[in-house]
Amino acid sequence: MERTDLPVSRRPLSSWILASGLKPQALLLFIILIMVFVRVLPLELQKRIVNEAIRAGAMRLLFIYCGLYLAAVLVASGLRYLINVLQNAIGERALAQMRKELYHFILTLPLAFFRKTQPGMVVSALVTELASAGDFVGMAIAVPVTSVLTLFAFAGYLLWLNPLLAVISLGVYPMVFVVLPQLQNRANVANKHRVDITRTLSSRIGEAITGIHEIQGNGSFRLENRRFDDLVDGLFKIRITWNLYRFAVKVCNNLFNNLSPFLVFIVGGYLAIKGRLDLGALVAFLSAQEKLYDPWRDLVDFYQTYQDARVRYRRTMEYFDGVPDHVLEPDKRKPHDLEGSVEVKDLSFVAEGGIQLLDRINLSLRPGEHLALIGFSGSGKSTLAQCIGQLYKYTSGHILFGGKEVAELSKRDMICNMGFVSQDPFTFDGTIRENLLYACASRVEGNGCGASEVLPSVDEMIAVLQQTGIFVDVLRFGLNAVLAHDEHLDLATKIIRVREKFRRQYGGQLSDFVEFLEESRYLYYANIAANLTFGSPNRPSFSVENLPTNKYFLRFLDEISLTSPLLQVGGEICTQTVDILGSLPPDPVFFEQSPIAPEELDDYRQLAERLQRAGLTSLAAADHQRLLELALRFTPGTHKMVALSEPLEELLLRGRIRFREKIATDDPGAFSFYKSSDYIYSQSILDNILFGKAKTVISSVEEKINQSIIQVLIEEDLLETIVEIGMEFQVGTMGDKLSGGQKQKLAIARVLLKAPRLLILDEATSALDNRSQARIQGLVDTKLKGTTTLIAVVHRLDIIRNYDKIAVMKAGRIGELGTYEELIARKGILYELVYGKGAGP
Amino acid sequence: MSSSTEKEQVPRVSEFQANLEILRQLQFFSGLSLEALKLVAYLCARQDFRPGDLLFRQDEHDGTAFYIVSGQAGITRDNERGGAVLRTYDKGEFLGGLALVCDMRRLFTLRALTEMTCVTLTRDRFTKVLEQFPEVTAKVLQTIAEAIVVWEQRFLTEGRELSEVCGRMAGMSLL
Repeated sequence: MERTDLPVSRRPLSSWILASGLKPQALLLFIILIMVFVRVLPLELQKRIVNEAIRAGAMRLLFIYCGLYLAAVLVASGLRYLINVLQNAIGERALAQMRKELYHFILTLPLAFFRKTQPGMVVSALVTELASAGDFVGMAIAVPVTSVLTLFAFAGYLLWLNPLLAVISLGVYPMVFVVLPQLQNRANVANKHRVDITRTLSSRIGEAITGIHEIQGNGSFRLENRRFDDLVDGLFKIRITWNLYRFAVKVCNNLFNNLSPFLVFIVGGYLAIKGRLDLGALVAFLSAQEKLYDPWRDLVDFYQTYQDARVRYRRTMEYFDGVPDHVLEPDKRKPHDLEGSVEVKDLSFVAEGGIQLLDRINLSLRPGEHLALIGFSGSGKSTLAQCIGQLYKYTSGHILFGGKEVAELSKRDMICNMGFVSQDPFTFDGTIRENLLYACASRVEGNGCGASEVLPSVDEMIAVLQQTGIFVDVLRFGLNAVLAHDEHLDLATKIIRVREKFRRQYGGQLSDFVEFLEESRYLYYANIAANLTFGSPNRPSFSVENLPTNKYFLRFLDEISLTSPLLQVGGEICTQTVDILGSLPPDPVFFEQSPIAPEELDDYRQLAERLQRAGLTSLAAADHQRLLELALRFTPGTHKMVALSEPLEELLLRGRIRFREKIATDDPGAFSFYKSSDYIYSQSILDNILFGKAKTVISSVEEKINQSIIQVLIEEDLLETIVEIGMEFQVGTMGDKLSGGQKQKLAIARVLLKAPRLLILDEATSALDNRSQARIQGLVDTKLKGTTTLIAVVHRLDIIRNYDKIAVMKAGRIGELGTYEELIARKGILYELVYGKGAGP
Repeated sequence: MSSSTEKEQVPRVSEFQANLEILRQLQFFSGLSLEALKLVAYLCARQDFRPGDLLFRQDEHDGTAFYIVSGQAGITRDNERGGAVLRTYDKGEFLGGLALVCDMRRLFTLRALTEMTCVTLTRDRFTKVLEQFPEVTAKVLQTIAEAIVVWEQRFLTEGRELSEVCGRMAGMSLL
């Protein structure tokens, strides 16, 4: 693939034609040449059929010519198809290439660019706006060449047939060249406008969605609506204008095309009547002329596509026309292996708009020294950290990292030697393991950093999980995993052993917090279906979601007269839940105690209305089914909006016995009944160990249970296996299945795994509770001291004592710099921050 | 439901209903609309404690509010007066509301003195309610401000004898 030195945002549209590969384009040209010839052939055949075959009554000739005619038409269609395929492939490849390169480029743009840019803007640029440019690249050679050649071929043929007629009928086209570009120019202006308004519109939508809490909080609906409506109206007008001109181009073109047959009829008719033109020639002439229309229209379409693509492409690229602050890869050398010293000299940073964020900062750190940056928000402490971490390009002064100027180092030099944890670290969709390896993987990927380029082992990963205190969380994810049927047979047997041991050692102690599976007792933490069947289904037809339509099961419910009470419970749950959840957004917090899933809420809301209007008995069968489904899901321990009545509880317990007898005779293999000697595949590892359910989700209780389980898992040497399963936990988009604290711990864990020479923590522990924060600080003080240079932006003053240096920032300057003891003894700013204003010691 | 064929059963009150009844009596939630209150009631949890269990620990950021359904708890401060109970909280009392609105460090340790049952609510969950019913924030703020004024008023009248020390610390309601 050819590459130019220009940044992608400056490359002209035409460069992509070359980049799309000359081979396919040449092949395309070759096919086109054949096709043009094949296209002209039928015209001549047409003439001969009339003049030589029909007039002369030569049947044999008629068949030969018609056969040839048919062949020519078939070959032409086949070639047309081939051309389309090739053209499309070239266009799509160019589009893919454009998207990739633009995306790669955008990611390297300075952070300041993204503060002003809405994500929606980037999305629409990459997804929609570039599409027409891709189309254009596909057409760029094929269409004009085909059309022009075909035009010339037909025109040549016309001239050969009858020069006079040809000149007259072709004389119309030059006029088109005058009118068309003018119309197109106007369309272009409108199109530019359209692109701009669309862009404003998408960033406005983006802004409204991100700031929706502010809009709802201020009730500023009208204001926002007016702003949006104005934009849409503007877009409406501009689109109408744009299309008016585009259609005008088409209509104008049509008009000229239709004028020329008129001229041929007049002149040709006259000549034929006078006997100066034979009829066959006139027929051939007319159809040749008609055929002029197709290539001509293609040409005009191409012209329009070109103009549209040009405008959109230019507009899109202009938007991203920035220069990355730093080069990505070192120039023809290995990445530096930098010593962990940091030297800041007269550093200033002036942001856009002339705001001075940092003002002549001076400080220096020897390898392994720890520096805490403190100060009020807005004092520049984060900015300083970000400048040192090469996230911002400072405007004057120097930062020397290992003796090298940071501004001149490549990104790879930095990532090979530095680790950065930001204030709200981002967690990407994927597993815990993938997120844990994120920093390491990006170092290994590409050219690497020299030395030992291998991803950390599982043991190393588990070690950092423990150090950062997220180990128990990951273990918990592992415990909550459901093993696939017939997989991990070995593990399942081991877990049964853990279950027995756990029951022996902790069963009595934890009986208040765990509801063990007991055949004679109602299970408040299991749903009604599980209470009835007391086992896990082995056939899909007996799974909870299929039970409401399972005839066998429904008959059973009727037999023990449970149908009506269950419907009643279902109705009650439906009404109550809909009443509470109303139209709340699908936040997991709202739905974790609801038997209705977010996507079902609408359906059940309508059902609740019907229920209120008509009453339970007059509902349709389908509605009954849905209510029964709710009832079967009902788990009194979790779904607190409805209480389970005592009579129903007894009824269900009796039903359990009946069901077991019945299924034992009718279909013995349908269920695996809960037995303390069997692994239950439909339940999580945790529930299998407990052989029951934890009753509450309260953290202290959870901790007690965790502690006991960890103890047994250690004894059985299963702890790491479970943690490994936990590392496969999917964290969700933007890590939304993790808490803020978990995300921060994960971010610290991933940087520790990378073990950089220089570590920058930008309030990296702000979302952590005291104990976790202390744990991480302990880790920093013991494990990193002397080996890793650390710059930590800190908002809490109780953890800074052990830092080698403390810099107190004030209004972009360093107010004080020294050890904790020195600064306290000075009774300056730090003293004031720690002890309060004017306080005595 | 209007059907007369449904037989009357002895109704157990659902936990949600019980929570709603409790919340409706509480000053802290007095500004909430019924809609918001229902959601809060739904998001509350029940928790049992045995004597000696900690409800929260000093310096912890647990972000939980408690309503005592039954039993008694007491607050202590670490390393002060030998960990003696400074004050007790009994059945029907609500405490920890401030923790629902801001991330604060506990100044006390709260320990169950008897068997206890509490209705608990965490800040994470309450914040979700505030997001859905933004007008609630203002009302809760008002309730808190009023409570501060009432508290200092009481402090000034009842604690007059202690005025030497307390006088210098006065001005809490001038925050």
